Order: sequence, then structure tokens, then C-alpha cells
Amino acid sequence: MAQDQPLLAVQVALRKCFPVVEEQQALWQSTLQGCSSLLSSLSSLAEQLQAAQNLRFEDVPALRPFPELQERLRRKQLEAGDIVLDKLAERLATLLKVRDTVSSHVERVFQTYEQHSAALDVDAVLQPSVVSPSVADMLEWLQDIDRHYRRSYLKRKYLLSSIHWGDLASIQALPNAWDQISEDECQTLVSDILVSVSFFLEEPGSCAVSGDLGPCSGAALSAVSK
Amino acid sequence: MAPDSGPFPDEQFLKLLPVDPRDRDTQRCRLGPAALRSLGARLGSPLRISLPAGGCCLCTAWPRRDGADGFVQLDPQCASPGAAAAAATGRISLDSLQPVPCPPLRRLAVWPVLRPQAGAPNPAAVLEVAHELLRNRPVSRGHVVAAPPGVPGPVAALHVVGGTPDPEPAGLVTPRTCITLGDRPPPQVEPPGEVALGGLSETADTLRELLRLPLRYPLALAALGLAVPRGVLLAGPPGVGKTQLVRSVAREAGAELLAVSAPALQGARPGETEENVRRVFQRARELASRGPSLLFLDEVDALCPRRGGRGRVPESRVVAQVLTLLDGIHGDREVVVVGATNRPDELDPALRRPGRFDREVVIGTPTLKQREAILQVITSKMPISSHIDLGLLAEMTVGYVGADLTALCREAAMCALLKHEENQDAPTIEETDFLDALKKIQPSSFRSSIGLMDIKPVAWEQIGGLEDVKLKLKQCVEWPLKFPQEFARMGLKQPKGLLLYGPPGCAKTSLVRALATSCHCSFVSVSGADLFSPYVGDSEKVLSQVFRQARANTPALVFLDEIDSVLGSRSVGTLGCDARERVLSVLLNELDGVGVRTVERRGRKSDQQEYQEILNRNVMIVVATNRPDVLDDALLRPGRLDKMIYVPPPDQEGRLSILKVCTNNMPIGPDVSLEKLAAETCLFSGADLRNLCKEAALFALQEDGLEAATVRQEHFRESLRIVKPSLSRKGLTLYENLFKKGLSNLEDN
Repeated sequence: MAQDQPLLAVQVALRKCFPVVEEQQALWQSTLQGCSSLLSSLSSLAEQLQAAQNLRFEDVPALRPFPELQERLRRKQLEAGDIVLDKLAERLATLLKVRDTVSSHVERVFQTYEQHSAALDVDAVLQPSVVSPSVADMLEWLQDIDRHYRRSYLKRKYLLSSIHWGDLASIQALPNAWDQISEDECQTLVSDILVSVSFFLEEPGSCAVSGDLGPCSGAALSAVSK
Repeated sequence: MAPDSGPFPDEQFLKLLPVDPRDRDTQRCRLGPAALRSLGARLGSPLRISLPAGGCCLCTAWPRRDGADGFVQLDPQCASPGAAAAAATGRISLDSLQPVPCPPLRRLAVWPVLRPQAGAPNPAAVLEVAHELLRNRPVSRGHVVAAPPGVPGPVAALHVVGGTPDPEPAGLVTPRTCITLGDRPPPQVEPPGEVALGGLSETADTLRELLRLPLRYPLALAALGLAVPRGVLLAGPPGVGKTQLVRSVAREAGAELLAVSAPALQGARPGETEENVRRVFQRARELASRGPSLLFLDEVDALCPRRGGRGRVPESRVVAQVLTLLDGIHGDREVVVVGATNRPDELDPALRRPGRFDREVVIGTPTLKQREAILQVITSKMPISSHIDLGLLAEMTVGYVGADLTALCREAAMCALLKHEENQDAPTIEETDFLDALKKIQPSSFRSSIGLMDIKPVAWEQIGGLEDVKLKLKQCVEWPLKFPQEFARMGLKQPKGLLLYGPPGCAKTSLVRALATSCHCSFVSVSGADLFSPYVGDSEKVLSQVFRQARANTPALVFLDEIDSVLGSRSVGTLGCDARERVLSVLLNELDGVGVRTVERRGRKSDQQEYQEILNRNVMIVVATNRPDVLDDALLRPGRLDKMIYVPPPDQEGRLSILKVCTNNMPIGPDVSLEKLAAETCLFSGADLRNLCKEAALFALQEDGLEAATVRQEHFRESLRIVKPSLSRKGLTLYENLFKKGLSNLEDN
């Protein structure tokens, strides 16, 4: 059907995009979990540093024989901290990659839509079916997902870039702040959207159009069963 | 419901609803399918929307989730300045939604508005945030893109300054757009809803000049080699609008205002306060590096009290810190420091020199014109009836500061609301409401005043006899207060003071009461109990405070009863240094001193306003005594107590009218002849006559039992036998000859 071609093209693009999102979401989640454990070890390091600062070494007889104990201990702890920070930077790079992959895919879908938009009827775009949400909804969701990743990445990056060893209290609070970011944003946004489109993705073939089993479009039905 | 069938429910208009929380910061505009179709908009295509409250914003078109037509929800993230706050609810015409072409931009210039806590971030960080914020957004030149509050980063908003191709009406920022920071800030737009200032325009000019000079004429100032003054101290009584003045001037000049209340800087631990002070100045310097800024220290007297004295070492450290910071600030540009206080004398003197607080602006209690201006500003948004004469109201509100006037108007509005409960939709405020409110709202400067009296109103008619004394009093006091223009025309100076003397019980106090009633001015009465205290110097301070407050609330009458006991006489006095003599010297100074203290200045310094403000400059002192002979000579010369009025004991006619007044509420029998009584009561004072009537009434009760109906002539006779006159011929001649004798003595010499 000639007038369905543009819609089909957009749907194909969408069908390609969502699995990528799904895959990247899994990567994102696992990376975040890895970060949490790193952050808690960073926080306990900060606690150790704090404790070492509060201790007056010269007052403890047992420690007196060790020369420059305090400086050495501190250096050691900072080194350990730097290793953790390096690992965190790697994780952050992974997150960045997830973000960029998702962004590029979303962009591609929108490009496809832009190409065909002139030929698309508003009603067709807005019409959902039993198995698939409307194209408009799906495009909107993709935009939301893209924005979600970008904002989330930005927040985490700012949080990690605010670390400096002079402020031990804030390092100790890092795991909480990290969790707070996850709580603030809608955690289930991506997974919810993926659930909503699961039927649409499962539908075989490229021909399932705005599959209307709706009451008022019998004409379209015949087009589907072509 | 079939959403996209049929015409619009309301053909031309869409109802503007608040934005869906999920759509916040997405720049989406949710439309029904019919509207989408009639606009020919695609998903995500940019729309330029003119808002009903003025301004416009740029949004992307998206369908509503529920598919309903006739509604629009929009997220004004990219809007013309000030429009974002205004986009609330209302109705919007479909014509004001306009699809615009949106070519991708190659370059874009923005001007960042930084978050206050950001400090001075490097441009790269700002650019990164800008990239992230603007990515895939349509923008338009002149619009502001607000950063959502939850997102971290140094940028609060971005002004779109320009780009290639020109983003007018719109342009799309793509990941490949090159974003640069603009080199000059966009023209400032006056934020709507500005609070106007009444009557402070001159003071505002001073401040404005300080803020604007370095901005407008940087080259000229540099050529002159001048450092612009950078500090202003605002002094004035509480409630005159010091804080509001600073806020409005800062807003008007587009300067960044950092307002700090000095008490809020105090810390518990040693050194904490200094640290807070340093931090505030640091912030001010950061703000100043971006544009003109103004550091406002409210209640600065709490931060910088006078140094010295035991146990004040911590405070001295804070003062020293402030002083060094004020000096250090001159290396930088643009930070204007404004301090406000109502106790300028408590400040450390080192603070009050050029280079720190260069200028001191005294904002006094508002004058008549200023009050009128203030009232005009306050009532401009109130539905007041057209009959109200604000000038008259301003005349009545002597001593009211801006805060009091606001309270007054609020009270009047409340009165109007309560009174006209039936038409609450459109209440108008009548003059009577203001008069009712005037009874409830006292001027705040009077709340802590000494000797403020609630007097029972006494009309002149309620005082029998003494017609010529009443006339004299009216001439001396009432006329100058009520008709100042006429006095000025005749070249008359207003009398300063007035001495009422005469034998006891002859209505001196009642006369003063009637005077206070008739001339409607602030009335302060001071007695020995208010003045004397066990501490040395306290009495003098109290007396001078009385005068200061009276001057703040002119026109005012200060009444000192039984002045002979309050003030000693230096000539008659015995042993040198006495508290009463010191009080006397204070009084002499207050009556005829060199001038008034600068803090008490009102209006402008120059005398241009003298004529119109003549009504306001008057404090009159009325003293009463029955022993004028012991008063100090210095007090009695013209210029201090210029007028001496002898209140004689009532003559026969006077006694008759006093008796009439006293028996006004008394059922007297028909046989009573008040004329005869008046003739028989020679040497009776007014108080004696009142006593006579009282005794007569008591006799009546005694004789006829509690059912007594009338007071008859025999009761008066009876009481006349008991009550003896308190005056004596000899005493009276003494009074009468007192001042004549002095004159004759002089002639003899």
C-alpha cells in the first residue's frame, strides 16, 4: 500500500532501535551496580583517612618506633583511593558510551521520521493498535529515554567530579548521594517503556502496520491481512 | 468521545492548562489532534506561541496523551525573558500558535546566567553544560532557555544571543552546532510587577548614581583618576523603607543584589562570624566580576558595634574584619556596599569614613508630601473610592512611616471587607474605613514612646469662663498649627513655648487637655515620674528622648505639668550640681538649641521644601505651674517660653459658667440660683466649685436618703459652710504682680 510505506519505514526503524535500547539498558544497570561497590569502598577509605587524621600518633607509645607513620599511611590510603577513582572513571566512560549509543540510534529514528513525515497522516501516526502503541507515543518515549540517559549521566559525572580528598565528609556520603540520584530519577522509566513495546517488537515481519483491530477501521484490517 | 471528529468545542480558543509533570523541561506543547492537523504540525515540529500574559515561547508540537481537543499544555522552557513565570493558565487563541521553520544551526552564541553558588567557572564547563542543555532543541533569538532545577552545573539559564543562520524565528541546535559564549549580556528586561517606592526618590537617586556611574562613564572616571564611592550607610528609624529602597534600586539598575542580614552572620564558635563575613564578601566579589552588584548589610549595627569596652574582644575582631574587607574591596570593581541601620551612633566610628561608608544617607520619618506619595503607591492597587482625599489622609498620619501606612491601608481594606460582606466580590474602600483604621494603627515610632497620653477629649465649651485665656491659647497654639501658611505670610515665627501659671485648681491642666483635643496633634505629657531615675544622667537622656520623639511626630505638643518640681532654678537653687538643674539645661537646649541632630533630618537638607513642610516642623512645649516665682530666668525669656499666660481664678461670670458645667449632670431643684451662688463664692477656684457641688449632692443624699431626687438650695448653703475657698487675696496679688514687678524693677534701675 503506497500510503503505508512511510509508516512502515518508521516502524522498521523503531523496531531496530528498541532492542538496542534494551541491550544498552542492561549494560547501564550492571555498570551502575559496579559503581556502587566502588563508591562504598571509596567511602570506607575516606573513613580510614579521617580516623588517621584524628589520631595523635605521638601519643600512642606503640606507634612511636615507626618513623613518619602518619605520612606513609596517608600516602598509602590516597594511592588506594586513586586506584578506585581510576576504576570509577572507566565505569563512567562505559556509561558515556551507553548514552552516546542510545542517542545515535534515537537520532536515526527521528531522521527516518523526518524524511517520511511529509507523507504521513496525523491520524495514522496517532492511532495505536492492540499490539502496538502509536508511532507518536513511541517516538516520544525514545526522546524521553534519550533525555533520561543524558541527564542521569550528567548528574553522575558532576558528582564524581566533585570528589576531592580535602573534603572527606562528602566522600563518605558518596554512596548515599549516588543512590539518591537513582531514586530522584524515574528508575523504571526505560524498563516500563520496553515492556510497553514488547508486543510490538515480537510481532513478526515488517508488514504489521498500524494493525488495527479497532472497531472503526475495517478497511485497514484488510490491508493488514494482505 | 471521538476526539478528532467535528469542529473545536470552542472554535478559536484553547484552554491553557498547567504543564504535565512528566513533560517538565521537555519544551513540549501538548495539543489535541484537531489542532495538530489544522496547524499542519508534525511530531516535534517547533511552534512559536504567543502567551496571553505577554511574551512568547518556542515549543515542539506533540499530541495529547488523552487525545482531547480544546486544551493546550506547554512547557515554557525556551521563552522570552519573564514569560516563563507568566505562563500559568488562561485561554489562548489558536492563531497565536504558529508553526515556524527551524533550520539546523551551524553556530550559536549564548549568554549564560550562572547559578549564585557556582563561583567563577571556566568557560569550557559552561560550554559543556550549554551543549547538553540545548541539544536537539529549537531556540529563538532573544529567548531564554532555563536549566531545570534538578540538573547540576553552574548554569541557571542561557540567553540566546545570535547565531548562523540567524535563529529568528527559530533554529535547531544539533550535536554539530558550534556553541560560543556571547561577549556582551543581552539587554536587560524590566521584570514586571515592580514595587514602586513612594517618596524616596531623592535617596534612591543617590544610590542609583553610585551604581550606575561606573557603568555609564567608565572612561570619564578613569580619565579623572577617580575611585567612585563604593559605600553608603542608610540611617533612619525602623520602617521607613531602607531595605525596600535598596532592593528596588538594585532591581532597577539591573545590579545583582546580595542581601545579608548582619545577625545571620553571627556564629557560635570563635572565628566563625569572621569566616561568614569573609565568605559573604567573597561571594559579592564573584558576583561583581560578572556585572554590577550590590552587597547589602541589613542591621549593620549588630555586626559592627562600637569597639572597646571590656568583654567585647570577639566583636572587635568582627569589626576589624569588616573594615579590612571594605578597604580591600576597592581593588575590585563594581561591589557597592550598602549598610542599613536605625542606630547609626552605635556603629564603630572607623566604619564611617570615606573609603568605607563614603556617604551617609539619612532617611527620616516621611514628610507630608512623602506620605502622600507613599499612600498613592500603596493604594494604587486597592479599589478605593474616588472620594478619598489622600492629601488629607497624609495630613492626618503625622509620624507614620511607610510600614505604618501599609498597615493602615491593610486595616482599612479589612474594615471594608468586614463591613460590606454582601458585596465581597468588589469591595470599595471608603473614607470611613480609613478613619476606623486610623484609630487602630498607631505610628510605630510612638509605640515605645515616653509620656504618650490617651487623653479624654475635652471641648473648649466644657471649661467654664476664662474666655480671654482660651482665646490666647488658641492664638498661640492652635492657629500656628492649623494655619501655618497665614503665619508664614505675616512673617511670624511660630512660638516655641508657653507657660501657664496661676493658682492651683484653676483649670490649667484642663485647658491643656482641651488644647490637645482641638489641635489634633501628637500629645506627650511628661511628669517627674517619667524623668527621674536613680542613675546619673538618665533623666536628661529621657527628656531629650521625649523631644526627639516629639520631633519625629510633629506637630506635637509636649506638656510638662508642675514644672517647678521637675526643673530646679539655677538662680534660686542651693547646692551646685543637682539632677534638676541638669534637666533644666537639657530643656533649655532642646527649646533653643543650635540645631537638631543629623539623624533626625527629614526630607531634604535644603530649604526648598520649607514652605510646604512648615506644618511639620513644629514642636510646641506647654508648661504649667502654680509657682512661677521659682522658675529659672533663662527659661522665661522669649524664644524659649515666649508666652506667659496667667490663668486667673474665675470671676463671677466664670464661676457661674463653671457651676453650670459642674451641675450639668446633677438634678438640681428649681429653687437653686446658680447666679447667687456664683456671687457668693468669691475666691473659689474651679476645683473648689466642683467640690462644692459634690458636697451639696452628698448632703442631698444624706438628708433625703438614697431616694433623693433633687439637690436643693439648702444643700448648697450647707456645703458652702463647709467648703472654704482655697485661694487668698494675698496669694492672688502675688501672682498678678509677679511679672509686672520684674518689669518695674528694671525700670527703677
